[in-house]
Amino acid sequence: MNRVLDVVRVQLVNWRGIFAWPLGILALTLVINLVTFGVLSDDVPSNGRVTGSLVSIYIVMFVAHLQTITQVFPFALGLSVTRWAFYAGTTVLVVAQGLLFGLLLLLLELVERWTGGWGIGLRYIGLPFLVQDNLLLQWLAYAVPFLAFSAVGVCFGVVFKRWGQSGVYAVTIGAALVLAGLVLLVSRLGWWPAVGRFFTDQSTFALLAGYPLVIAVVLGAAGWLVIRRATP
Amino acid sequence: MNVIRMSGVTKRYGQVTALDGVSMELAENRIHGLLGRNGAGKTTVMQILTGQAFETSGGVEVFGEHPYENADVLGRICFIKESQRYPDFFKVKHALRAAELLYPNWDAGFAAELVDDFGLPVNRGIKKLSRGMLSAVGVIIGLASRAPLTFFDEPYLGLDAVARQLFYDRLLADYADRPRTVVLSTHLIDEVSDLIEHVVLIDKGRILLDEDADTLRTRAVTVTGPVTSVESFVAGRTVLHREQLGGFLRATVSGVPDRPVVGGLEFEPVSLQQLVVRTTQMNGPHNGRPVGAGNGGNR
Repeated sequence: MNRVLDVVRVQLVNWRGIFAWPLGILALTLVINLVTFGVLSDDVPSNGRVTGSLVSIYIVMFVAHLQTITQVFPFALGLSVTRWAFYAGTTVLVVAQGLLFGLLLLLLELVERWTGGWGIGLRYIGLPFLVQDNLLLQWLAYAVPFLAFSAVGVCFGVVFKRWGQSGVYAVTIGAALVLAGLVLLVSRLGWWPAVGRFFTDQSTFALLAGYPLVIAVVLGAAGWLVIRRATP
Repeated sequence: MNVIRMSGVTKRYGQVTALDGVSMELAENRIHGLLGRNGAGKTTVMQILTGQAFETSGGVEVFGEHPYENADVLGRICFIKESQRYPDFFKVKHALRAAELLYPNWDAGFAAELVDDFGLPVNRGIKKLSRGMLSAVGVIIGLASRAPLTFFDEPYLGLDAVARQLFYDRLLADYADRPRTVVLSTHLIDEVSDLIEHVVLIDKGRILLDEDADTLRTRAVTVTGPVTSVESFVAGRTVLHREQLGGFLRATVSGVPDRPVVGGLEFEPVSLQQLVVRTTQMNGPHNGRPVGAGNGGNR
């Protein structure tokens, strides 16, 4: 367990970089949106000032943890860390980061509400479908997608380390084929209305936190099976 | 006591056999030289011994246990390889701090001294380091970690002669104070011949030599003289190499315990480097050919 915490500390050696990037991107997109809607204030009614820029901070986490595997993994193994300690430490870091950034978004959402959308009715954090009934659910709705995005990054990273670029292509193309097959199947069987009902019947909390958590756990476990035999 | 034991270790990458029945034992608290050409299998041996790569078959023991995913064993090992990857977003000080967190015997004072010695800019990004500076980072981590078992895999790339000497001097001085097991893989055999106490020569995935450096140094001799005299002297001995110039023959022979006094013949000692080169050349017809300098074939 100590070794796992050592790995977390090694990953946080450059903690300014780890936290500055996502926060910087978040701040930058907020400013861009404020300026954009400030300029367009006459053209966009104040109840339509909704932006999807929030996704950028989630994408940053995807890239960050892709690099955790492609760059920190070879470094850590070079310094005699076991794959298990490295993967467990990375998991701890991913969960902690997700919860922390989720909390930050929760606080920003409150600020957004209190300031009437940053003074111009902008919905940047509290997007209509994201808003939950209570603070705990709201926190998890922001936090869990971080875990899912990070897990996807980790998975691409371990596939790259284990099988190289061709492995990444194979997995990407394979996933696309499976998806296309499913679409074809559903169309053939005429199940689209049922699929649509499934999604509308789910609560937004299930879609934001429930299923992403399942995805994160499944991908996280799959990543472990792959990294066990990966070489730095 | 032996720290490392490999018995009949074979490693295949698809059709390529990188290691072919490698068996060796390395004793504790000595400096071992792991020598051989590019692609001979040196790096593969060290990757397997550190649990980074997997043997296809054979037995591997480090500190009496298999190293794969063995925190107890790996915690006592430091493996500095020429191709060591550092995160791009690290500065030099981050890499050193990470090593400090991971190595229980880390000596921060010693590391700071070495940083000064090598003139390493700790606040510079890893990506902006010259090749020599990057090697210096590895050398410093390898020395200051004071791991009971330290592997240096061609750690000197890009280091100039002065910096390399600094590395050898610091290694020897620190080793004298705090004995530990060092495995040094290198091409610059002449430079380290005074440093290494035991030699393992590997070629095409097989062990060619596995002996004390002192024994090896006295093992072969170069004899020069008229063709007929030299021929009669070397008859029945293993000739590692021969060069003929006119009526004179120069032959390197092994198995000459003491220098006999034979009229008209001159005897010279054979350096470790020459012995390694000649032994390797004996091992196969292709070994006279150059191989692109740089890295092993399995990275």
